[in-house]
Amino acid sequence: MSVTTTTRGVGRLLSPELKTRALLFRWLIALLLPLLVFTFVWQGDYVINNVLLGFITPATALTAPSKAIQSAIFMVLFYFLVLALAGYLVASDSGRRKTVSIWLDSFVFAVVPILLIDVTNNLVIGIAVSGIAWAIFFTVRKRIKYLAEAPSSPTSLPTISNDELLQRAILGGFWLGLTLSVIWLLVDVLFFVTGTLQTELLIFTAIRTVVLPIAGYFLGMLGGRVAQRYTAAAYASRDAKNNAKAGHKSRLESQQVVPNDQPLRSSGARTFYMALLIAFLLFYPAIDQYLFGYGTDGRVTGYGDAGYYVILALGLNIVVGFAGLLDLGYVAFFAIGAYTWGIIGSTQLGIIFGTVFNPLVLSWLFWPMIIVSALVAAFWGVVLGAPTLRLRGDYLAIVTLGFGEIVPIVVLNLNQVTNGANGLVGIHSPAFFGLDWSVVTPTPYYYLVLALIALVIFANIRLRDSRLGRAWVAIREDEIAAASSGINLRNTKLLAFGAGAFFAGIAGAYHSAKLGEISPDSFSYGDSIVFLAMVVIGGLGSIPGVIVGAISVYSINILILGQLDSLATDPTSFIYPVYHTITQYVPGFTFGNIRNLIFGVILITIMIFRPEGLIPSARRKRELHRDDDAPAGAGALDIVPSDPGFEAEVRIE
Amino acid sequence: MSAEQVVSIGQNGEQTITPLLELRNVTKHFGGLAAVQEVDLRIFPGEIISIIGPNGAGKTTVFNLITGIYRVSQGDILLGGRTLVGLSPDAIVRRGITRTFQNIRLFNNMTVLENVLVGYHTRLKATVLGALFRPPQVRREEDVARERAIELLSFFGPELVERQDEYVVNLSYAEKRRVEISRALAADPKLLLLDEPTAGMNEYETLEAVKYIRRLRDELGLTILLIEHKLAVTMGMSDRIAVLDYGRKIAEGLPEDVRRNELVIAAYLGKPSATDQEETAAE
Repeated sequence: MSVTTTTRGVGRLLSPELKTRALLFRWLIALLLPLLVFTFVWQGDYVINNVLLGFITPATALTAPSKAIQSAIFMVLFYFLVLALAGYLVASDSGRRKTVSIWLDSFVFAVVPILLIDVTNNLVIGIAVSGIAWAIFFTVRKRIKYLAEAPSSPTSLPTISNDELLQRAILGGFWLGLTLSVIWLLVDVLFFVTGTLQTELLIFTAIRTVVLPIAGYFLGMLGGRVAQRYTAAAYASRDAKNNAKAGHKSRLESQQVVPNDQPLRSSGARTFYMALLIAFLLFYPAIDQYLFGYGTDGRVTGYGDAGYYVILALGLNIVVGFAGLLDLGYVAFFAIGAYTWGIIGSTQLGIIFGTVFNPLVLSWLFWPMIIVSALVAAFWGVVLGAPTLRLRGDYLAIVTLGFGEIVPIVVLNLNQVTNGANGLVGIHSPAFFGLDWSVVTPTPYYYLVLALIALVIFANIRLRDSRLGRAWVAIREDEIAAASSGINLRNTKLLAFGAGAFFAGIAGAYHSAKLGEISPDSFSYGDSIVFLAMVVIGGLGSIPGVIVGAISVYSINILILGQLDSLATDPTSFIYPVYHTITQYVPGFTFGNIRNLIFGVILITIMIFRPEGLIPSARRKRELHRDDDAPAGAGALDIVPSDPGFEAEVRIE
Repeated sequence: MSAEQVVSIGQNGEQTITPLLELRNVTKHFGGLAAVQEVDLRIFPGEIISIIGPNGAGKTTVFNLITGIYRVSQGDILLGGRTLVGLSPDAIVRRGITRTFQNIRLFNNMTVLENVLVGYHTRLKATVLGALFRPPQVRREEDVARERAIELLSFFGPELVERQDEYVVNLSYAEKRRVEISRALAADPKLLLLDEPTAGMNEYETLEAVKYIRRLRDELGLTILLIEHKLAVTMGMSDRIAVLDYGRKIAEGLPEDVRRNELVIAAYLGKPSATDQEETAAE
């Protein structure tokens, strides 16, 4: 490259054109604010500095090096991802939304949660309160006309050349990197002058000041490449390659295409959000101490427990969400899975067979036993589903409810095999090379459940988008039409029960290994209802929905409501005054007493205002918010009573 | 009538044509009510046959019996000589009979394309493991299925192809009818049962429907059995017509013959009363 082109390039870099400047300005502010708040609240730079110090001066060697290094890696990843996101956003913004509304969005969705989590010092409560704040923000925003999005037709979106997209993206990343490095430089100089910054770190400050803008340049380019994948032209060429016709219009109308009116919500931005989320989940055990201080292990244990709820919700989603079979006895399969590993993986096996088994060997058996427990649960899913095949709706639910009750009682009474009411204790943890799975550290279980969840999500997505998934949805929509299209009702329904039970078996095996002891009364009918609540609140049939639903219900039920009493009696918490005033009027009041009441009220509120669930599947949202002037199914009222279709849901609006 | 008829040579060398679908003495009781009584019908390959009759005559019941939704109380139904009695509806689809419904039964919360893809269920072979791992043959068969589905939709013109990702609830009645037919065609049937395909359509839509029903037989080689109330439509389109009244077949034959048949006229218009007869006699 000649000198003139490089200087021209640098010149273009340092003083962008007028219209790009407007875009740059709005996104710099929009992203800087959360970044700075994040750094301030969660000590991003402190984390990195700590690690570097440990390397440079042996005197300040780290006490827990691996965790600190992991945290530092996470911080670096975080900043880099945001730089790339900046590039993407600058490139993909169509420029038609008001800047103020973008800043408001960034504040409410990025800054508020960070602040709330810090204020409440609790990840779950912080996000829960943020959720309420978001709901309020949504309702208020709809009323304010100034912020209302101008209705625009998708075909009037401006088209940008790929080159210009890249240019803009590079500018975005570069400028964010530059601004960040300058701010950091000033902060470091300030700290150095006031004596809180170690001299050795100045070298790093210098390096960082230079590296950040350069990194911003290249990361912006990365963001630009992501944006290029989502242009209308890119879609057109992909469609041509796959020989697919049309579908074009719906994509244009959706959030997928670049340039976009709502870049923060576009599909490209979502890839960055997913990357950030995955990084956060992967590194969480290491960064937790910087976020919340002591008690990391307790929290990680709790989240490990939430994990199996997610698996259960995903499994139940297949039965209730995809196939529409109302299963009220799902806990039975969870129990079967738990007891399968419980029996094999503890001394109980020796008791049954009258010998003693080597515990080390048993521990290794956990890995194949996950599959075996799942298969055993699936088998019973098919067996218990078979009598329900001709039943519909409420009758189906009652029978499954019955089985949900029968299984724990059977387990209770099969003394020789399951050790009855005493339950099983000393269930082995899995064995993995060199990892310590004991009660002392919950981290291996955390990663195990993350891996299991990833596999289960993958399996669910594959099932949903397959011939079988379509058959399930068809059965849910209209059994007679499904049968008349060639779907074997019996086999498909049994497969739904079996697949749902399979995942419950996985969760069960994990649960009994982690907890180490199980008994029949840990599996009660009430649990089935909670699992159902997770699926319905999250969004029937929607995979991201039920994940969020499971986490929400678990958090509300166990983390928040369960801890309300201990928080209430703690004088330093913000609930204490409330609690105090209530007990003055109502002596003997504890939050534990009204816990189910609160839970019920929350469920009902969500069902009234958002019956389609927190993250509904596209189908369900349409189903429940259908326009009033849509025509009722032609002749829907003409079904003769003797027709088997008569009892099918005839929606009379 | 363009008919590729199955001709079988009998023992003495005479040629007989084997019917594609044969109803022998089919009877269906619902409790004390005989919805269908002793109905005989033979349908030969390549024909368009209509079943007509007043409301409640048992026409849809006959369809439901053929497609396995009801089981015959007496009698037999044979497809290509093999009995269909006792088979479940999906087994009958595999044998080669699909249908549409009087009150359109599409899967409302699925898109146009997904509805047609469900019709392909019997022609795809992917199992649970195939769904999970997606080996190349599963990928290939899904691609082929999509292509064929779009081809089927394009039989009716480009409009449905363009709207393939729309939820069927948003379509007009006539468009929904076409999607339902496409779904029925996806299973590659030999015999297509259409239950009142022009119900609720205006004149223009009805004419369009008649045209594409004829094309289904002419271009795709299907045999079609239809229930139809609009007599003008049936007379113009059918090769033969069977008339049901109170569950019994009261007439069958060419359209011109059926139109003039007294029993048929009486069934539709009611028997003339005694006073009417005296008046006509007096004139």
